[in-house]
Amino acid sequence: MRGMVEFKVKAAHYINKINTHIIPVRFEYYEPKTIEEAVELLAKYKGEAKILAGGTDLLVAMKQRLVEPKIIINIKKIKELRFIEDRGDYLAIGATTRLREIEKNPIVKERFPALYEAVKAMAGTQIRNMATIGGNLCNASPAADTAPPLIVYEAKVKIVGPRGERIVPVEKFFKWVKKTVLEPDELLAEIIIPYHPPNTGSAFIKIARTAMDLAKVNVAVALRVDDNNVIEWIRVALGSVAPTPVRAPSVEKALEGKEFKLETIEEASKLVVNDISPITDIRSTAEYRREVSKVIVRDALIRAYNRIKGR
Amino acid sequence: MALVEDPYALLEKWLKAREFIVVGKGIERADAFDKAIGKARFVEDYFDKGVLFVKQVLSEEPHAILEGIDYSEALKIPKVVGVFTAQDIPGENQVGYALPDQPLLAEGKVRFHAEPIALVAAEDIDAAFEAVERVKVKYKPLPVILDPLEAMNRTDVLVHEENGSNIAFRTKVRKGNVEEGFAKSDVIVENEYRTHHQDHLYLETEGALAIPDFEGRITVITAAQYPHLAQSIVARVLGIPMSKVKIVIPYLGGGFGGKDDEGPLVAAKAALVAYKTGKPAFLMYTREESLRIHPKREATIIHYKSGATKDGKLMAIEVKIIHDTGAYTNRGPFILWRASVHASGPYYVPHAKVDGYCVYTNKFPQGSFRGFGNPSVQFAAEAQMDELAKKLGMDPVDFRLKNLLRPGQTTITNQLLDHSVGIAEAVEKLAKKMGWWEKRKAFTEYNKRSKRYKRGIGIGVAWHGISTSRGVPDWSNAYIKIDKDGSVTVYTGIMEMGQGSPNSSHRQIVAEVLGAPLDVIKIVFGTTDAPDTGATHASRGTSIGAIGVLVAAAKIRERLNKLAAELLNARPDDIVIANGKVYVRGNESKSMTWQELIKQAYARGVDVSATGYFFLPKGKFDDAKGQGYAYPAYSYVAVAVEVEVDTYTGRVRVLKAYPALAAGRIINPVQVEGQMEGAIAQGLGYVLMEQFVFDEKGRVLNADMTDYVVPTALDVPVVEKPVYVEDLFKYGPFGAKGVGEMALIPVPAAISNAVSHALGIRVTRLPLTPENVYFMIKKK
Repeated sequence: MRGMVEFKVKAAHYINKINTHIIPVRFEYYEPKTIEEAVELLAKYKGEAKILAGGTDLLVAMKQRLVEPKIIINIKKIKELRFIEDRGDYLAIGATTRLREIEKNPIVKERFPALYEAVKAMAGTQIRNMATIGGNLCNASPAADTAPPLIVYEAKVKIVGPRGERIVPVEKFFKWVKKTVLEPDELLAEIIIPYHPPNTGSAFIKIARTAMDLAKVNVAVALRVDDNNVIEWIRVALGSVAPTPVRAPSVEKALEGKEFKLETIEEASKLVVNDISPITDIRSTAEYRREVSKVIVRDALIRAYNRIKGR
Repeated sequence: MALVEDPYALLEKWLKAREFIVVGKGIERADAFDKAIGKARFVEDYFDKGVLFVKQVLSEEPHAILEGIDYSEALKIPKVVGVFTAQDIPGENQVGYALPDQPLLAEGKVRFHAEPIALVAAEDIDAAFEAVERVKVKYKPLPVILDPLEAMNRTDVLVHEENGSNIAFRTKVRKGNVEEGFAKSDVIVENEYRTHHQDHLYLETEGALAIPDFEGRITVITAAQYPHLAQSIVARVLGIPMSKVKIVIPYLGGGFGGKDDEGPLVAAKAALVAYKTGKPAFLMYTREESLRIHPKREATIIHYKSGATKDGKLMAIEVKIIHDTGAYTNRGPFILWRASVHASGPYYVPHAKVDGYCVYTNKFPQGSFRGFGNPSVQFAAEAQMDELAKKLGMDPVDFRLKNLLRPGQTTITNQLLDHSVGIAEAVEKLAKKMGWWEKRKAFTEYNKRSKRYKRGIGIGVAWHGISTSRGVPDWSNAYIKIDKDGSVTVYTGIMEMGQGSPNSSHRQIVAEVLGAPLDVIKIVFGTTDAPDTGATHASRGTSIGAIGVLVAAAKIRERLNKLAAELLNARPDDIVIANGKVYVRGNESKSMTWQELIKQAYARGVDVSATGYFFLPKGKFDDAKGQGYAYPAYSYVAVAVEVEVDTYTGRVRVLKAYPALAAGRIINPVQVEGQMEGAIAQGLGYVLMEQFVFDEKGRVLNADMTDYVVPTALDVPVVEKPVYVEDLFKYGPFGAKGVGEMALIPVPAAISNAVSHALGIRVTRLPLTPENVYFMIKKK
């Protein structure tokens, strides 16, 4: 987000270079058909290549000359990267699975409602038909709507590269604004989301300027309560309030082991300000982000709890 | 028997019509299908191989002396054909609409960030982009002035030195004696209001394709709203007669006023390159350029004092209006005039004093935008009405009904309104239909119980003068010809930007008056090959634009009635022509087809072509006294909205909107509903979401569609079917007045009054973004 503000100022300075009408730079273009081919290309053009996984962020950035890659590798032709698979203990989603496909998947809607809500709140249908979940994560925007749900579900990503595969929790995937743990020759291949017991509830809420907008703040929560309504397990994650999507450990600690009561929730939600470091930018102010984070953490916790209770 | 050719007589005759063939019906517009399947062509669709790309070099400084432009490096790039600056303009560089203060390309100095300085032309777009980067402009920066209040009081920093002041223009309206009015008032309300810029954000940005030497003249296919104005600007810039310039305005991807300002300029830029190179030249603004360059809705500061008696009669208003006109006045003086003479709202006020100031700053210019100075001043006026009602302990609608203008009353410019004043009836009908009084009470009760969510209902009532302000000449015209096979071609300068007037109402009016079948009627619109019809702005496409169409058609109809009477052996007044059938009233066996009648006209020497010139009769406005004639008539509108405010997040949701319209005859209700819905959506975006973010040097930080946001389909509330009061206007075609801008005008007032009702806090500043509402609640 800090990057974004700097970019806006830069754009204002470089008005004679930047536009969103056409891409004013030339590049080489590749369409690998397998993961192996893609990894080979990445290794060959280390650092000079950008992966095109949907293009809804990359192409805009290229038009604005925020990035000027010499090589574009379109991974959308790789069939083995596009799937949603129930693998018993977990759900696996291929990196180039379209947001629209995730939104329409009955397992996602049933078992991962926060992810469903997040995807549904992202842009319009046309964009969701283009944009991919892998692209949303790898773009590493602090406002990425799929990140908080995946963090609270304790999802992991499978990364492939010339040195083989590695698994990284989504929570550890982001390093900074627009920066991930991916090496230049690595590719995010799939997302692994473990199923949670039936007494788990989850929810996603976003505050934005319009119904199809980037988040001013977003939040996902997941929690489990026992028969006495005591919170056994809880995860809270927010976006757009720090350089990366972040967990809210203060809120989680304050609620774990406590009975789910409205007053307790309201008090604990206020602690979220200890876990976030929002800034003022074009989309909102730091103060508003801080204030409204408390409200939507509270709202999301209540919604998640109501889901457990079948309300 | 002499034929009637007098336009007044013809207008009056058709005004009296009580039965209609197609008028008043939701006839499908002629372009519906082509637009639905993507066949309709817009400026960019005419681009072809071999055309030069034009790109603009924009100022990187908001205020600076231009010390030099070096483009030698740019010319070294292969495929670059030329670079053009103010010095290359063969005619005049001066293109200001109201005052001679605006160059087409900056000369001597730049006055806002992104002001166009030079044009680069190249054989391909890559070369054009590269060339723009290689043009070196030397600036000597000057102090930047952004706040209009500061600009008004400073003379050490001047945006236009030659003016000697940053106040570009002033207006004045005076009626009665305000001191006396306030002395007689039992309650007085005084507030300062602020409104912000808005971008039109049409889907299609500004563009033009200029083709030299086509039909022996330069032809410009351009996105503008007034072909004859674009023609005169192009002719002036090139230094050639207007007859050597042809303008074609194809379908437009939205205009809203923005292309009325920028359209002629983009045409002139493309034409300049085509003229200088002898090759077709194409310029299309990028979204960034569009957002940074073209003029915006006025940003205002309005100081408003009003008084009323304890029985709810408005007594006096005193209003000071400041418009931030940016670097150039553009249409600023006209916008300020409109704001000034509408400052009271559609109410009878015996004492009024209005002063307007149009102030230069180093920002993009202020310009035409749906409502034209009126949404901001109606926002202030309507807030005052609610506050007065509150102080008086009266319901806002009841208070308005006591003061709304009625026929026989005078406006604040002392103009007598002798007819076509249907607003009081419209507001009363609307309030009854929507259950205003019950809802207002129910929401007040709801708010006592609900802690987090608060509901409000608010109304905005507005008026909008038809035609140009202050008696400035205005006219209509059209040329109609009927070919031998009976097909009818209408030539008009009115253009099509989605509003539909040529392809719906014009066609209906011709079908109604001539009786020709709809499917043989073709409207050729947006062309300088038609007589000057005036602009498609100020809600005049149908209201004024179609007067010429009606008059021309009515002239031909008189001749055809005479001919048919001879052929069918009847009296001309008994001839009926409807849907292509010609017959004698009461005796349909005496009949013939439309085609036969036209064949006979050609055989018997009856002229089946006509122009429909009509000069609107107007009075005069006395600038020194601040009194006089303002407009031939007004359209009136009211919009009521229900809102819900989440006081925890500051988010305002508009749940439902209820419009009412007194705009004379409704020619096509489907089109009118479309205009009402679109205007409400655009107004909602303005109030709740849209805003420009500037840095300390006046640079726009959100000149893209990621961060200049407008409402999506999901943000738009249910808009109820409008309540209509058809208060016919005697010079309007079938009594029609304007519609296009109407429903936007009261939306800022309606939403802010509803939010004020919900929260019990007076809204005086826009926009009502969640941040602003949240902190407004917190401050309370």
